[in-house]
Amino acid sequence: MAKRSCIFGVAGMVWVVLTLTAIAYATRLALVVAPTEATMGNVQRIFYYHVPTSMLSLLFPYVNFMASLFYLYWRRRDPLRALTADAVAISAAEVTVVYSSICLLTGMLWGRAAWGIWWTWDARLTSMLLLWLLYVSYLMLRKLSSTGQTQTLAAVLSVFAAIDVPIVYMSIQWWRTQHPAPVFGGGADSGIDPSMMPAFVWNVVGWAMWGIFLLLYRYGLERRRQESEQASALRAIEGTLEIAQ
Amino acid sequence: MKLSWMFGSSMEAHHLLASYIIVWLVQGGYAAWIAWQWRRTGKELQPDPADLSPRDEDA
Repeated sequence: MAKRSCIFGVAGMVWVVLTLTAIAYATRLALVVAPTEATMGNVQRIFYYHVPTSMLSLLFPYVNFMASLFYLYWRRRDPLRALTADAVAISAAEVTVVYSSICLLTGMLWGRAAWGIWWTWDARLTSMLLLWLLYVSYLMLRKLSSTGQTQTLAAVLSVFAAIDVPIVYMSIQWWRTQHPAPVFGGGADSGIDPSMMPAFVWNVVGWAMWGIFLLLYRYGLERRRQESEQASALRAIEGTLEIAQ
Repeated sequence: MKLSWMFGSSMEAHHLLASYIIVWLVQGGYAAWIAWQWRRTGKELQPDPADLSPRDEDA
């Protein structure tokens, strides 16, 4: 057991070093190497953080969604597996909130510089804010509820929250919005200059690796918490038995 | 200095700098919070020394 956790520790350290190297290289490409965009100027460099984190903030909700479905399936059939799924679900929800918060904040900073406004209630921005609120409410429910059915209620909420993800993604194609059309796959005029691609790709890779690290680290923490709760529950039962004797 | 434009006085430069700081603060803050919770949970998991000492009925 100790040998296994040692292997995980070393693998984790290697992953963190690789991730930080990728992010450092991506930051250099974004700030120094990538050319300055003709119309927006240097503020366009926010793109290299804003778009990768936005993409990732639409992927982690599906990890939460799948884990919640597994939790609902296993909660009566195999409670130990259900606990594992629940740990994945809460980890993915927190990482979603982190990435969507960055997406909203960097978007507002970019919007103020490019459009002259911090915020507008258009379909993309509103549906993204709704996504953020849904996952914040998921975390609040888990933190504050004391019904004994918290995990089940949270799993059901996450199934409904995941419905917002395709709405966020499609909003700029379904409705006319202030937000620009998709950079990739948005028609003949979409795409970026090839000289900007390395900075974009490396930022996607670096922040995806960082997201995976956060997800696994938070999962490990949740498993430790579950272990700690089980240990204190066992101690409480033993204490009750001793009093009874 | 290649990055001098990033620390200039224009709104674009300020917003770009602010967005990079936000990214690092949010991501780093969350990772630090997990690390702090990890340490705290580790202490909770350590067995109580009172539980390790032999009890009267064990002797």
